[in-house]
Order: sequence, then structure tokens, then C-alpha cells
Amino acid sequence: MGRRAKRTKVFYLISLLPVMMATLIKVTRVFSQRSDIDGLYIFSNMIVVFYLQFLILILSLFFGISVCAEELEGKTLTYLTTRPVSKSAIVLGKYAAYASLVILMTVVGLVFSFLILNANKLHRFYIYKTLLRDAVVLSLGLICYTAFFTFIGILLKRSIMFGLLFSFGWENVIQYFPGSTQRFSIVHYLKSLLPGQTGGRFSFLLFRLEPTSPALALFMLFLITGVFLASSCLLFSLREYIIED
Amino acid sequence: MIPIVETKNLSRWYGNVLGLSDVSIQIEQGISGILGPNGAGKSTFLKLLTGQIKPNIGFVRIKGKKIWNNYALLSEIGFCPEQDAFYEEMTGWQFLTSLLKLYHFSKTEVETQAQKALEVVELTNDKDRVIRSYSRGMRQRIKFAQAIAHDPEILILDEPLNGLDPLARRKMIRLIKSYEKEGKTIIVSSHVLPEIEAMTNRVILIHQGKIFAEGDIHYIRDLIEDHPHIISVKCNRPRELASKFINEDYVLKVNFGLTQDSLLVETNNRDKFFSLLPSLLVEGKIEVEEITSPDDNLQAVFDYLVGK
Repeated sequence: MGRRAKRTKVFYLISLLPVMMATLIKVTRVFSQRSDIDGLYIFSNMIVVFYLQFLILILSLFFGISVCAEELEGKTLTYLTTRPVSKSAIVLGKYAAYASLVILMTVVGLVFSFLILNANKLHRFYIYKTLLRDAVVLSLGLICYTAFFTFIGILLKRSIMFGLLFSFGWENVIQYFPGSTQRFSIVHYLKSLLPGQTGGRFSFLLFRLEPTSPALALFMLFLITGVFLASSCLLFSLREYIIED
Repeated sequence: MIPIVETKNLSRWYGNVLGLSDVSIQIEQGISGILGPNGAGKSTFLKLLTGQIKPNIGFVRIKGKKIWNNYALLSEIGFCPEQDAFYEEMTGWQFLTSLLKLYHFSKTEVETQAQKALEVVELTNDKDRVIRSYSRGMRQRIKFAQAIAHDPEILILDEPLNGLDPLARRKMIRLIKSYEKEGKTIIVSSHVLPEIEAMTNRVILIHQGKIFAEGDIHYIRDLIEDHPHIISVKCNRPRELASKFINEDYVLKVNFGLTQDSLLVETNNRDKFFSLLPSLLVEGKIEVEEITSPDDNLQAVFDYLVGK
């Protein structure tokens, strides 16, 4: 099986983990006849714990870095660079395809887990506002992180190692720093777009958040995306890639 | 008149390693063969021609225009790389159509061109199979198909006959020659002289990153003919056979193998040697097990020409 197809399947399965978790929670609750914990509450925790801290980072990391690296590793870059398209178009085209793919993967799992957890109140329309908002925030996160990792994949040879350190080191630590330091993380702006949670089991993850205004957070996310995409295009156009025969 | 391909003082290094040095040539319409042993600089030269790498010194011009970062010019070039690399999970059809879409053809044009290219390389029946299931020969043919699918004016082929069986090789040579008849410019590299000889008379000999000789194939052949050849004859009475050859003036040296059943003859005229050999064998009733030419390869010829 091709490495790329295999990788996509593995990540698709990972993106469906929340659906399995949601099913498990729902089944346990049905059998234990507990109704004290709200489905929306569990879903919100899932967004903060699983999606923001893990899933969107891992998906963006592997697909963003692949924009350039997989063509080099597979020695297929020659097929693209000998066509009448600019190198920037190659980067942007592949970025757009991968960003769409990771958004699709994430949103499918998100929708299913939401529906399972809130199966008892699907007739209440207000709950869909939460789903839409979370889907938009996660998609923005994926767009921004994928742009960042696309740049890292073009810039560095050991990009996976750097990406892992950034994702689970920098992003997971700097966001809890007090004051303006936390603004040096992307996740800070994503969290700023979510409503404040108080009293939840995982509320400590938002505990030290000193939110930026939603408008500025949106602006910063688009700015980061634009800067890293432009830098990726520039770097890819200037660099030579020597494919060994 | 502007040459189709022109290079001037073209040089390229990979760190401290010389890839190509001071190459100034002009290539016109028709087939030009780039001949050289492995590591001679053929692929570097072709990568420079297709704008994949940038020269350290000098320039490449295709139809009078610089190729580096000139994407529009690439629509006139079809490149068949040497490496056996593909998007393995794609079918042959998907591979061709995806690459054709990069030429801004309409959907119908993409399909027509892909179909045509598949017919040319005789892969129509296998177009829906994934590339990873293709044989080596089929992979080589689909690689050639992607180079011709957009009907380019200039075809640059890096070792296109690698991995093909003799029949497929003949077909491919015929195909490449048919593009010459259509008025296209074809630059084809190989490390096998007879392959190039079968395609064209125009040869560029490349060795250690430099153009060693350039011109008609007969000139190259003459250089090779002057090169002393070693011929090994494995037989039951090598010393008796040696005594018969020793008086011939085109035999320069006679040696015996370690196993005492082989004779190594160094000659500067292979044709005369091979015309006399059968009669001597019959006359002396000598039984031959094997006749080989251990140095009959391009590297040996180059070593001889550069005076090693």
C-alpha cells in the first residue's frame, strides 16, 4: 500500500477517536442511568482537551510537513517542477488540498461525536450554534497550524522533531504563561474565540487564559497563516531540490 | 538562427563535488545523444536544461530564453527523469491526467491527450491499474508517457531505455525516432553506446563533468576502434591457441588466466581478431567454452581516451 494512502487512513482513524469516546460515554451513561452530566459540557471538554491540545496539532503537523517532504522523499517533485506552474502555485495547491483534507477529517469526527453526546436534545436548535462555533474555531486552527508546519517542512530537514517539540512543548506550555507571553502561541488565539469555561473538570486548561478580543484573535490567526504561507512560497521558489537518482 | 538549446560555460558543483564543468554547446532539431558512464554528469546536464537546478556559472537558453524560473517555457518541454519514482497509489490514468491538468488544458483535452499518450506507450489496457502493480517496463513506459502527453516540442529523456526488455527497447527506440520525424528536438542520455547508436548519429560524449567529444557517431566509433581491447577465450588448450596468435601484428599482448583454461588477448583490431579466431579453432580442433570482452564497456573506452 502506498505510504501516503496508509498515513491518511491512520490519521482518519485517529480523527474518529472522539466518536468512539462519545459512544462509550453515551453507552456507559445509558447503562448507569446517569443524566447529571450534560452532553454539551462533555463536548466542550472534548474540544479543549482532545481537539485543541492534540488532534489539530498532530494532523496539521504531519500533513503540513508533507506538503514538500513527501515529494522529496518519494522523489516525485521532478514531475511537478518540470510543469508550467510556479513553485508558489505548487506549495499553495498542495497546502489547500491538505488543509481541506484535515478540516474534513476533523469536522466529520466532531459532528458525529456531537450528535452522539447530545442525542437526547437534537430537536433544540441552540445546540447547533455550539457545534458551528467549535467547527469554525478548529478549522481556523487547522488552517493556521498547517501553514506554519508547511513552512517548517520547507525550512528544516528534521522538521518532524521540531514540529513535535513545538506542538507538545511550546504550544502546550507557553499558553499557560501569565501576561502577554501566552500571545506567542497560536492556541491562545483559538482559545480566545471559545467562550470562557468555569467550573468544568478541565477548566484548568483555560485557567490562565487572558483572552485577546475575538476580532484581534481572528486577525492574528489570518496574519500568522498569511505570513507563513508567503514565507513558504518564497523559500520553496528560491531553494533547489536535488533528487538523487 | 537561434539554436533550440544553447549552453555557455555551464558549470555546476554540489558542494565540493564537480557535477558539470564549462559546457558550451548548441543543440538543434533532431535527436542528440548524451553518452557517458555512470556519474559522468549526464543527469546534472539534463536537470540544468529543464531548470530543476541552477548553474553556478554560465547559462542555459531554450529557444533563446533562460530556463531558470521560466515556468511558461516548461510547457514546451517534456522531461522523462531517470529515477523510478511515482505516485504509487495512483492509477496510470490518474497519474497522466493529474499532470496534464497542470498545463491548463480543458477536461476534454486532458482526457484526449492522456488517452493518446497511453496508446503510444501501449498501456491503454492497464490504465486503471495502480502504478505500484506495474512491471519495471510498464513503469518506464508510463514515465515516458507523462513526458509526451502534452505534445512538447522538446523531449528530454534521461536513460529512457533502462529496465526495458529487448523487444520493448526496440519499440521505444522506434518511438523516439518517430518524434524526430515530427520535427521535434530530442535529447536522450544513456551509458550504453549501441543504444544511442540505434537512435542517432549525433553524439555528445560526457565524462567527469566535461564534454569530451561531440559530433558524428562514426567519429566516436573510430576513437573506440583504436582503443585496445582485451578478449578472454576460455578453452581446453589456451597455450596452443596463443602460439597461433603470437605472430599477428594486431595482437599486442597475450596472457593466461589463473585457472590455466583461459587466454587473454589484447588487440587493437577486434575485427581482424574475430575473423581469424574461428579458423584457428577449427584447424587446431580447440574446444571453446566461452568468449568474453571484459573491458568492452563505455567506462573502459573513456579510461583509454583520457589516458588512464
